[in-house]
Amino acid sequence: MMIRWKHVLLAAIAAPLLALLVAWSGVIYIGATGGHWSITNWFLHYVMRQSIATYAIPVEEPEIIDPGLLVPAAGHFQQGCAFCHGAPGEQRSATVMKMLPQPPDLTTVLSTWSDEELFRIVRNGVRYSGMPAWPTQERDDEVWGLVAFLRQMNGMDAETYQTLTQQPASGNQAAGSVAFERALSACAACHNLDGSGRSSVIPILAGQSETYLLNSLHAYADGSRASGYMQTAATLVDRALYAELAAYFAAQTEPAPPPVDAPNDVLELGRRIAEQGLPDKEVPACLSCHGSTRKAAYPSLDGQHRDYLVRQLVLFAEEHRGGTPFNHLMIRPAKGLSEPEREAVAAYFASRRR
Amino acid sequence: MLARHAGKITGIAAALSPVGGLTGCAGMQSALDPAGHEAQELYLLFLGMCAGGAVVFISVVSLLIYAVHHQRRVHSDRVVARLILWGTVTTVAVLTVLLTFSLALWPGLRPVQAEGQPAIEITVTGHQFWWDVRYQTPDGQAVVVAANEVRLPVGERVFLTLESADMIHSFWIPALAGKMDMVPGRSTHLSLLATRPGVFRGPCAEYCGTSHALMAFSAVAMEPAAFTAWLAARRMPSPTAQAAGLQAFLSNGCGGCHTISGTEARGKIGPDLSHVGSRETIGAGILPNTVQSIARFIKEPDTIKPGVRMPSFRMLPDEEIAGIAQYLKGLQ
Repeated sequence: MMIRWKHVLLAAIAAPLLALLVAWSGVIYIGATGGHWSITNWFLHYVMRQSIATYAIPVEEPEIIDPGLLVPAAGHFQQGCAFCHGAPGEQRSATVMKMLPQPPDLTTVLSTWSDEELFRIVRNGVRYSGMPAWPTQERDDEVWGLVAFLRQMNGMDAETYQTLTQQPASGNQAAGSVAFERALSACAACHNLDGSGRSSVIPILAGQSETYLLNSLHAYADGSRASGYMQTAATLVDRALYAELAAYFAAQTEPAPPPVDAPNDVLELGRRIAEQGLPDKEVPACLSCHGSTRKAAYPSLDGQHRDYLVRQLVLFAEEHRGGTPFNHLMIRPAKGLSEPEREAVAAYFASRRR
Repeated sequence: MLARHAGKITGIAAALSPVGGLTGCAGMQSALDPAGHEAQELYLLFLGMCAGGAVVFISVVSLLIYAVHHQRRVHSDRVVARLILWGTVTTVAVLTVLLTFSLALWPGLRPVQAEGQPAIEITVTGHQFWWDVRYQTPDGQAVVVAANEVRLPVGERVFLTLESADMIHSFWIPALAGKMDMVPGRSTHLSLLATRPGVFRGPCAEYCGTSHALMAFSAVAMEPAAFTAWLAARRMPSPTAQAAGLQAFLSNGCGGCHTISGTEARGKIGPDLSHVGSRETIGAGILPNTVQSIARFIKEPDTIKPGVRMPSFRMLPDEEIAGIAQYLKGLQ
């Protein structure tokens, strides 16, 4: 029989219908037992590696990654990643080992990826593999923090990892419910039980306005304030506990922070901006909102970590900060500040005593 | 033929005459209803030019009709020479009269401050999209800061220094004088002499951004005694009755951008709000000055005035906004 165009056409129509019929019949096996054929396995990994390498081409690694990011990155890794990928001194469960594809043991694969490729994987996730994207696409700084942590984690001993990620037992300090104690303990992994913040990028919560803390927790949970770390942390806690947590941290007494290492002229510039603003650049005096007459919804900045303040100003200027319903008030002032002015004003507020 | 068109001719004449046609152009923002010396001169110039233009127009059209209806015969060289000569003479004469007339008015349109003559000095700075107004008090001791409203005494010359903080704006009170551009980085000057009291409107007359059309101010010409009293009162802070409103104003941070004399609000970014309750309008000439308008402006300045620098405060509870609005309206 001669194969004519008519036959080709019929086959083209019949083939998809046949495929649909097979799918409808339900005979295709989608169970995770047994794994893929070797060739399927090779092909899927080949596609993934090529895709990540190509999409990582435009990624530029920042010159300096703030070492302060290691603490929240470690805490986030423990909460979000360790379950599947394991961690120093922690074995993966038998359940995880039966995932298809099986999540890679990071100690063996990390060295096969460049920093840029790791950034892409952490930020965008990997489709069909169960690897999720970062909770927000607006915080590349956090993703780089996690990449830096992954590099440090390679070869880290179990004790160091434990110290970095431990959730201090609250010791029933607030005499709250079990759920509250557990939530508080999770917060304290980064913020400390006294709300002092374990690293320079983690804000001091002690003595902060209760309303502001509560609004911020809701903002993280709603996704209106972008942070992979905090959105994860906030959504892991029952919203009913937010008010209690906000009240707890607001009631803590802030430990005296170390003196701020900044030249006097920088502090003086910061003081001037805080008290008088920069009218020519449409920057109002910071203290008109953050001063002693501030409303409860506005945060106190006095004695706050300098790096944290600088980071917030950058995020506001880039319009990536979000936050409580008042957050848009900060966009224009933040855009008006130059980099040295941001540094100066952050140093000044860090040096102020509450 | 004339009789047949009598009605139409009367109508045209009425439309052209200032008495018949121009009364419809009266109002707070009209150059055809002058209330100032310069505007009066400009009005005269306008009428003179209209009259001159009408003469030229009628002459040209008459000649055209004559030419169309003329018998088809060639003019002799002599007639042609005479036509050219008288045509040139007439044109030169009419243009010379108009030029002389307008040049004679010129000095009066841009009077500069005479030496030693005491004048009231006001500095107006254009911002996107509002006006900062500073009065030098007659004793030279103090500067009274206001916004979006220029007050001046009738019968006294006022010397204005015009500046801009961002774009090119143009200062124009049609009822009082011509316009003058406000150029960033330099000062321009304008002199005003109001001849009768009244409230006039001044629009920004140079495109300056999204809300250019929503940038205006009121000019209030007052009797000299009333003006002096008004200026003296402006040096004092307004009595504050609404303490709760002031508290809300300060705690929300409004004082970061706005100044209210006698309070902790000392911001220099937005309009000075001392005595704002006594101004004619809100939002630089776009809303009547009522508690409701003020509340609306606080809540949604971005919808009322697109591109406005002030952030919206729609996240505040309505009662808090109302409290601030009542406090501001009370600043008389």
